[in-house]
Amino acid sequence: MKPKRLNKDQIQKIFLSTLGFIALIYCYFTFFLGPLNKSRVTMIQTIGDLQAKTASSKTELRKTANLEQQAKEATGRYEALQKTTQDGAPIAWFPPKMRAFFSDHRIDKASARLESSSDFKEPELSDWIKDIWAIEMPESDYSGLGRAIAELENTEPLLSLQRVVIHAVPEQPQFQQVSLYAETVLFKK
Amino acid sequence: MALQLNLLHEEFKEERQRKRDPLKLGLIGLGCFGVILFLYYAWNAYGTMKIRGQLNLAQAEWAKVEPQVTAAQKRATELHQIIDSTKVLDARIENRFYWAPFLSIISQSVAPNIQLTSLDGTITDNGTISVSLEGLAAAREPRAAAEELRQLLSEQLEKHYSDVKVTFKNLEDLDTLVDLAGVPTASARFVMNMIFNPKPPDSSKKSEPAKENQAKENMEKPAAK
Repeated sequence: MKPKRLNKDQIQKIFLSTLGFIALIYCYFTFFLGPLNKSRVTMIQTIGDLQAKTASSKTELRKTANLEQQAKEATGRYEALQKTTQDGAPIAWFPPKMRAFFSDHRIDKASARLESSSDFKEPELSDWIKDIWAIEMPESDYSGLGRAIAELENTEPLLSLQRVVIHAVPEQPQFQQVSLYAETVLFKK
Repeated sequence: MALQLNLLHEEFKEERQRKRDPLKLGLIGLGCFGVILFLYYAWNAYGTMKIRGQLNLAQAEWAKVEPQVTAAQKRATELHQIIDSTKVLDARIENRFYWAPFLSIISQSVAPNIQLTSLDGTITDNGTISVSLEGLAAAREPRAAAEELRQLLSEQLEKHYSDVKVTFKNLEDLDTLVDLAGVPTASARFVMNMIFNPKPPDSSKKSEPAKENQAKENMEKPAAK
């Protein structure tokens, strides 16, 4: 049996159908399946990212909780050190405090003046300030001074004496003139 | 053999042609294919909707965790800062030089025939302690008395500190006699320099707090000056 040859009309129709098929495939993949797959891939990626972030966040929460436990001692100590700084400007409370302290050790007429005030270079101490005080005691006996300094060094952890100058008073040999240069580390309030 | 005549052959031909019309067949094929594609799209869309549901869940969970983790990060930074600050402050506290024990050593080293007129002690930039001591020594040999003081100070300081150097900056005899227990005695004025490292010579021997307490006890005894 001889295959029948397609006429011109049929060829045109076949061509038209092929074009329609190609257009359908193109539209389907470009406007329907493509964006759908794209959004699905994006969503899967986002889910992956979010799950990873959530997992790492939970790990971080656990780490912070552990750190909180470990830092309990440091936190307590830090708070205690903070409390050594009284409220208000140091120039207002430090000189009276020193006067009262030395007065308790029978060293009268002690006076303190602020020599300098500066920030620390260490970034860890950005919340703290370094003050240098000159503490003058015109009349002090050596042993009383020694006891007072021992007490001061033991009770004020953030105070360190940078210079100690003791001169005998010619008219009163039992007394000495004393100048102390104290560095204090105070919390910025 | 009977002769058969098909008088409707033209109609049959048209019918056949209509049935195998390529456009019609193509449209049917296209329609079927379209249905398959639509079903496939619907299947994919269903999958995507399920994924969207998972995404919403993940986003909800993240929205719940995010403020907590932000606060935790802030707290962790704060805690690290506190720990670091405490370490630095503790190091400053531990590395302080305690003057009271030093004054105690001076007090214990000065004999009754020595009078100190001035003491000037400073912590230098490199952490060493520099002290200038001025005074009068009265004895038959006042220079020897001053030298005794220097040696005693050096010995005593070496027990507690390292790199101790005690030297005379000035030592001169005075023409005037001083009254020592009612006896006129020759005297000499001295200026001594002491330089030492506040670190103990052997850190395992004594700890700093023990040293502090000892110094405090010593200071409570009357100083023989």
